[in-house]
Amino acid sequence: MGNGPSTQLGHVKFEGVSKRFVSPVGQTMTALRDVNLEILPGQFCAIVGPTGCGKSTTLTMLAGLERPSAGTVTISDQVVSGITKGVSFMFQADALLPWRSVLTNVALGPSFNKVPHKDALDMARNWLRIVGLSGFEQHYPHQLSGGMRKRASLAAALINKPSILLMDEPFSALDVQTRSIMSNELLSLWERDRPTVLFVTHDLEEAIGLADKVVVITAGPGTVKAVFDIDLPRPRGALQEIRFQPRFLELHQLIWEALRDEVQRTYARQGAPVPAKETAE
Amino acid sequence: MTDTTVSAGFRAAARRRRLLVLLGQAVILVGFIGTWQIASDTGFVDPLFFGSPTGVVARLADWFVNGTAYGSFWFQIFVTLEEAAIGFVVGVFSGIFMGILLGQVDYLSDVMNPYIKFLNAIPRIVLGSIFVMWLGLGLAAKAILAAVLVFFVVFFNAYQGVRSVDPNLVANIRILGGSRADVIRQVIIPSAMTWIVASLHVALGFSIIGAIVGEILGAQHGLGLVIKTAQNTFDSDGVFGCMFVIGMIVLGVEVLMTRIEKRLLAWRKPSSAENIQDV
Repeated sequence: MGNGPSTQLGHVKFEGVSKRFVSPVGQTMTALRDVNLEILPGQFCAIVGPTGCGKSTTLTMLAGLERPSAGTVTISDQVVSGITKGVSFMFQADALLPWRSVLTNVALGPSFNKVPHKDALDMARNWLRIVGLSGFEQHYPHQLSGGMRKRASLAAALINKPSILLMDEPFSALDVQTRSIMSNELLSLWERDRPTVLFVTHDLEEAIGLADKVVVITAGPGTVKAVFDIDLPRPRGALQEIRFQPRFLELHQLIWEALRDEVQRTYARQGAPVPAKETAE
Repeated sequence: MTDTTVSAGFRAAARRRRLLVLLGQAVILVGFIGTWQIASDTGFVDPLFFGSPTGVVARLADWFVNGTAYGSFWFQIFVTLEEAAIGFVVGVFSGIFMGILLGQVDYLSDVMNPYIKFLNAIPRIVLGSIFVMWLGLGLAAKAILAAVLVFFVVFFNAYQGVRSVDPNLVANIRILGGSRADVIRQVIIPSAMTWIVASLHVALGFSIIGAIVGEILGAQHGLGLVIKTAQNTFDSDGVFGCMFVIGMIVLGVEVLMTRIEKRLLAWRKPSSAENIQDV
């Protein structure tokens, strides 16, 4: 476990990374092709791209769950070759253990890292307080609402003080209101320790509202199409408000230009008719 | 209507329904036993083959008071239950162990697959004869037969349970720093537990079957031996009496097991059928 933020930790580099999957019948499918990307320590990086372009694969490789077929992924100049310490992952679906209380779920991270049981529970209690779940320690995950489960997952991911936080469409299952509340809470939690964040999403507004840097991935096989720096000042405040600022709209227009072609290509490939709006106008 | 009158009306309706169900159950019980008794008394069925409720009660009373040819009736019950319990425990634990092992190690699972299918296909009850030949008339042969029957039920469920573990949960534990043992302890076993617990009810019945069949094949004590003796002397009241006693015992253990199941699976979301009633 690291002690607070570190400027050395959390420096992410993808160099010529490709990932091919082999299906059981022996067909190969290229998910990612020649990805080059650098994310500086403490940066909040959003990755957007059409469905199935391999954006989640960047996260699983960085977490060490999968190896690249070519190229290297490095964290602070160390090649990732397995599960790496200091990396936390927040999945799209809940990854809380349904048979454990919220408290013991959050305490899993420290207890795996040899923190004495009682101290781990104290840490977990503290983190539940930070994410606003005091009083729900003994509840089972199914007894919480979707938003509360996300907060518990965030606490479970942040309790290990990661230098890198990977998030794979973490809020996509939530309703719109809960989602914007969670985005704001994520930002204020991120400000505390400033881990490097890779945030995969298909929601461009969410990406611009949260990130320092938005990476657009092409339709599969995915590769980096363009990288945009988001120069909106921090702290940003509520997403509902900043999304009407002129600079926000300008960036949105710019990035959407890059993203649109890729989305349409994926659409066409799936055999769906190109949306009438796009062709008729 | 206000909420209170609605809920009062609902409670009254629920009570009425419970009473109706009980009444229906009582009608079936009295009807069945009454028909049996009358059919037997009037000679419509031959009491020698079909016995009669009063005959069964008399036979059981005699056994409980005066004992059987092999000692007290309580002792026969104890012997059978002991064999079944040992078989149950051994079968359940070995089934869970093998299920998790093969569920985790693909190579082993692929290698063992045809053999397990074959072992499952053969009538394992016949193994009882082998066990009696090997191990004699004592407890071991019956306990092993019961364990073999229980093993396969639990094994298949445990295996399936391990195979259907959510890969996200496993990935999450590993990223949080959990070892392979942590993954097994925190994810695989609890997750497979739903499947395993579901198999325990069937396994319980099988453990009793194993013990009794083992005793019928050869024993010096136990309910199976009592049944076999009753069969040889055309004592149908005795056979029905033993069936009844075994049924009551299994019912009792089932109640206990349902309680344990509820505790083990307390974390589960109650299904909507359990807590929502259509008013």
